Amino acid sequence: MVRFALRRLLVLVVALFTVSVVTFLVPYASGGDPVRTILRSRVAGQALDPSAVEALRHDLGLDQPLILQYLDWLGRALHGDFGLSFTSRTPVDQLLGSALGVSFTLTAVALGAAFVAALPLGTLAALRPGKRADTAVTFLTQSFVAVPEYWLAPILVLVFSQHLGWLPSAGWRTPQYLVLPALTLALRPLAYFTQVTRAAMVDVLKAPYITAARARGLSQPQTLLRHALRNGLLPVMTLFSLWFAGLLGGSVVVEVIFAVPGMGQLVYRAVVNHDIPIIQAGILSIVALAVLVTTVTDVLYALINPAVRLHDGSV
Amino acid sequence: MHLRPRTSASTGKEPDPATGAHLSISDLRVEFADHAPAGGTPPVDGLDLTVRSGRIVALVGESGSGKSLTAHAVTGLLPAGAHITAGRITLDDEDLAGCSAGRMNHIRGNQVAMLFQQPKASLDPTATVRSQVVEPLWLRHGLSRRQARARAEELLHDVGIADPDRVADSYAHQLSGGMAQRVMIASALAGDPGLLIADEPTTALDVTVQAQILALLRRKQRERGLSVLLITHDLGIVASLADRVAVMYAGHIVEESTTQELFTDPQHPYTRALLRASLLRSEDGRLFAIEGSTAQSRGLDHGCRFRPRCPVAEELGISHACEDTEPTLHTCGADHSSRCWASPSPDRMVSA
Repeated sequence: MVRFALRRLLVLVVALFTVSVVTFLVPYASGGDPVRTILRSRVAGQALDPSAVEALRHDLGLDQPLILQYLDWLGRALHGDFGLSFTSRTPVDQLLGSALGVSFTLTAVALGAAFVAALPLGTLAALRPGKRADTAVTFLTQSFVAVPEYWLAPILVLVFSQHLGWLPSAGWRTPQYLVLPALTLALRPLAYFTQVTRAAMVDVLKAPYITAARARGLSQPQTLLRHALRNGLLPVMTLFSLWFAGLLGGSVVVEVIFAVPGMGQLVYRAVVNHDIPIIQAGILSIVALAVLVTTVTDVLYALINPAVRLHDGSV
Repeated sequence: MHLRPRTSASTGKEPDPATGAHLSISDLRVEFADHAPAGGTPPVDGLDLTVRSGRIVALVGESGSGKSLTAHAVTGLLPAGAHITAGRITLDDEDLAGCSAGRMNHIRGNQVAMLFQQPKASLDPTATVRSQVVEPLWLRHGLSRRQARARAEELLHDVGIADPDRVADSYAHQLSGGMAQRVMIASALAGDPGLLIADEPTTALDVTVQAQILALLRRKQRERGLSVLLITHDLGIVASLADRVAVMYAGHIVEESTTQELFTDPQHPYTRALLRASLLRSEDGRLFAIEGSTAQSRGLDHGCRFRPRCPVAEELGISHACEDTEPTLHTCGADHSSRCWASPSPDRMVSA
């Protein structure tokens, strides 16, 4: 098991190195000259002084060969120093630290809630396929998939903030501020988790080891808890880690609507402003966190299902 | 089915103290609720069977004869959609067919245990062997954690596992099929049941392992005085293990006798065909087959269910009787009953 975890860690390091190269290069490939963008924002409308352009280019280190820029960037990134934002001149690691914390919290709460709700819903549907509970759950989850976030979010604000006054409509201060954005984000993953749980449980409940467990005298609830659920949640765990990676930097719409200072907003604005240090560090940290979550999931998966620990004779 | 000749199995009678009926099934019918077209025969229809205390009864027949459904009906673990629609299943003087779900949970594991065809697939891949062997123990006795752990290893040792502590901490994928079936036997016996239902317990195992598992079953049966209902299609296993044999065809029993008697003097044409198909080879070395398939016997609402495949009916010129009226399972010799118009009967002889 330890060897399995170590192997996964090695894969993680290789993945991060590859990603660092790609994220470093991507902003350069996207076109546009960051130096001119920055200067234009300062002198609004006037012609640019060519010597000022070159001076700033030198200051930002953008006149160096790309490979040197990369090595320099990587060396400092390894110490957590991602340089200064081109536009606001604040250290990138500070901007990133707070945004990453916000996004991680929001994603973890939304997906955690979706996971916890999906297991009983999917199991309920799987117990009697095609019967009333199954139809109801399927209908519910399919409508969740169809609801767009930019429609749901204002509705939730209207109901829970405007009419009922229970929850704040926007911002990020106390845990109450988390509820509406997390709810908005959770709905679609909840639908997918439920469907995958249902499909997995339908298969698991037909497995000989379920009948064998009943034959040993376990009641149906005991069998579900002790044997069916553990096997049924394995595919949902995989889906969980995929969604985690996606939502970390991909919840721009929800972040904008609820004024959540997360990664989606930060990176989106950086792209618009050609703020290369933020883009590079942002993407790298999103990917790093995503790969880390995937690795943790893989290790958990192997802990639950020992048959996964391939090439590893010892338990 | 009034005026049925008394079968030697004496279904539904009070258990005789000496050789009392441990399990007695009478006129059992199992049907699938969802797809029951009018006129379709239920997969188990009018089945009578008795397992006396401490005896091994083999239930034999080809695939689709309803053997496994019968076994699952006894344990109350019929697949989704299948239901018992008629008949009685009496275990230790209690009718199981009308039992509550809670009562059945108590009976399973404690009074009746089961072995399955695929031992490895019958173990939860995410749980250790120990946790699964222990389950009937904590359900029944409320043993402490440590006591249950120790008892599990004892049980594993008793089924011939040399290193029970290592096996107890293993998972299904680390075991061979034979080892997994030993584990299943240990967990089946953990709740100290009186009746063991073994549904093709060695079919998925290779031949040498088969012999070991059968020997183990025989030893456990003797040690504990278990009653065993052995479901199999392998007459070799029947010959080596069973005290009595019931031959099942198209949902009911067509012949029932002691193993010795059945092998030396089979009465029903289906039994004879089955024996010939599994034990003999023709002169050119080819295996004998039974003409036709069980599908031909589905949907027959009158007459003998084996009639479409029967070589005897035509030969003896009794096909009229066979087509009109279903023969009853009647006594055709000492401790021997058959469901065929051509079998000898004390109260009627067939003119042939």
